[in-house]
Amino acid sequence: MLNRRALPLLAVPALAGAQTATEITVHYAQPVIFKDSYDAIAAEFARREPNIRINFVTTLNYEEGMQLILRQAATNLTVDLSYQGFNRLRLFAERGIAQDVMPMLRAEGEPAAMGYSPTMLALAHFGGFQCALAYAASNPICYYNADLVRRAGGDPNAMPTDWAGTLALSARIKALGGGTEGMHYAWSGDDWMFSALLFGHGGRMLTPDERDVAFAGAEGLGALTLLDRMVKDGGMANLSRDAAQQAFAAGRLGMFFWTTAALRGTMQQVGRNFELRTGPMPIINAQLGRLPTGGAAGMLTARDPAKREAAWKFLRFSTSAEGTTLMVQNTGYVPTNQLAIDEPRWLAEFYRANPLFQTATRQANISIPWYAFPGANSVRVTQTMVDQQSRIVQQQATPEVVLADMAAEVRRLLPRPRG
Amino acid sequence: MRRGETLAGWLLTLPAALAFLALLLLPTVAAVTLAFTDYELGEWPPNWIGTENFQEMWTDRGFRTSFRNTVVYVAIVAPLSVLGGLGLALLIESAARGRAFFRAVFFLPVVSLTVAMAAAWQYLLHPTIGPVNALLRVFGIAGPTWLSGSDTVLISLAFIGVWEAVGFNMVLFMAGLTAIPKELREAAAVDGARTAWDRFRLVTWPLLGPTTLFVVTISLIRSVRVFDTVAVLTRGGPNKASEVLLYTMYTEGFTYLRLGYSAAITLVFLVIVLGLMLLQTRVMDRRVHYG
Repeated sequence: MLNRRALPLLAVPALAGAQTATEITVHYAQPVIFKDSYDAIAAEFARREPNIRINFVTTLNYEEGMQLILRQAATNLTVDLSYQGFNRLRLFAERGIAQDVMPMLRAEGEPAAMGYSPTMLALAHFGGFQCALAYAASNPICYYNADLVRRAGGDPNAMPTDWAGTLALSARIKALGGGTEGMHYAWSGDDWMFSALLFGHGGRMLTPDERDVAFAGAEGLGALTLLDRMVKDGGMANLSRDAAQQAFAAGRLGMFFWTTAALRGTMQQVGRNFELRTGPMPIINAQLGRLPTGGAAGMLTARDPAKREAAWKFLRFSTSAEGTTLMVQNTGYVPTNQLAIDEPRWLAEFYRANPLFQTATRQANISIPWYAFPGANSVRVTQTMVDQQSRIVQQQATPEVVLADMAAEVRRLLPRPRG
Repeated sequence: MRRGETLAGWLLTLPAALAFLALLLLPTVAAVTLAFTDYELGEWPPNWIGTENFQEMWTDRGFRTSFRNTVVYVAIVAPLSVLGGLGLALLIESAARGRAFFRAVFFLPVVSLTVAMAAAWQYLLHPTIGPVNALLRVFGIAGPTWLSGSDTVLISLAFIGVWEAVGFNMVLFMAGLTAIPKELREAAAVDGARTAWDRFRLVTWPLLGPTTLFVVTISLIRSVRVFDTVAVLTRGGPNKASEVLLYTMYTEGFTYLRLGYSAAITLVFLVIVLGLMLLQTRVMDRRVHYG
């Protein structure tokens, strides 16, 4: 409907002088988390580009966002720019829906000089091309209840830095009784938190040629054994992620390991119930250990040249130092533009005033892309991994058995080499 | 004259016929067609693969689990909600006071939004902060993790299903009960049916036949259709312990994007529902006593 309203403006460029107004449709997921940041960016963008009008379309989550674009791609694509989860980009790249943005970026200058570091570009590099630009990045952190930690004899200012100490603390918090739980590791959503354990051991999901699984060795076993120890030594109960989050907000859960993206929401839920702190993930392997990066990247889908140009301008602005700054201030994410990190004028003040937000930023240097599986079964692979982990959390199978089953099932779902 | 009448008849049925065609028949035909293709969202055009989807279903662990879970769910929810509905209807019918109150109380779950109620259940059954487990702790019992344990999840969901359906069935039975003349029961008492159980067995139950038939059918179909609570509370987990047919259909189609396979599951679902309806109307209709 809004598109139709913009038509007269497009049809009579002479009246508007040299400039024409263009209307673009921009899609993003998770308005609960992102709305404030996009609104702030759009307001600033409107001041610079008064002739580009933005029409936002939102979906409740990344999954529905993916469906929206795929559905439209099969019929009539009306979205010009879509912000999708990092782990879904590969699918869009492989199905020829995302466009290469590198030529447009290069036309404006050297990417690194504009703050697009190779690390951040790699987050949205799939199918052999730059299919999107990172907008918001996250990594897993530890949320903890400082009051419970103190009551269990721990020091909230000097939390254990390894898993052995973390699990022991968890057991002590659980021993406080009255339905208090020590810790929850958010393993149940997708493969993201599992990859944190695997990458933490220095492991990887598939072999470099992507023909076979690479997690079936010592690193994978280490990851699953650690999950097993969380239950055995740390006393981790079999809670769903939602249930764990609710228990945490109610002050009944000591430590909660999940994405920094949930920070703003968690702060609102917790309110003044207890003293909320955040800390880095316990270290598994100091040299080889890495963490996965979650978040969203803007993907260009417009075909009409005028809309494409306008959509690119918005994408470029939203990922610039200024856009990133607005994004960080309105979410819990890590900045994606290196200039915003390096130049103190952008975010230094914000981080001084909001220390809880610093944790994820400190881990950014060991964060690597969220691995996206190849082929049509990519989403199913992640569900298989979750299902298998649940056998450990419920103590129905040993890590060795689960690792073997997981490897066999994932192998079956990988695309078979052709020819 | 007659021709004009015929024409008018056709014209009058035209809107309904068009709506039926566009909203029911064509989508069904499209779904049936898709079931024999490998259509994936974003991959065009699809290939005709015959019955491959159905062959895959036969060996698919996910589908088999989902089918079994649905059968278990229906086997718990349908009988309990029918019997519960009947029991409540009889109790409320015989109550001297507070009929309207109890009727409203038990009917509330039916009129409330399932998704919102699911959130309430999520809180009640919450392992650490939920009232149910808090109560169990008072008695020194460590409550189970209702919705996240493989052994308890289906039972928990079935309980919510019964809670939801029982009020609906109660209202249907109450309607059936009011249609039974009081004189019949009094006459039976005179003829020697001394106990309430005798009067129920000999008069009420047979006369409730048509109502019961309808309630059983609708309960079976409604419980085969379970989706909302699974989608909101468990998402089929843990490890597929609460996967049910409609949820599998949804994830195959919209999460894994395999619309062809999803359509094949829809077809199986359709056959089950149609089969239930046929079974009910054909087989049981003959045995039901219409007073």
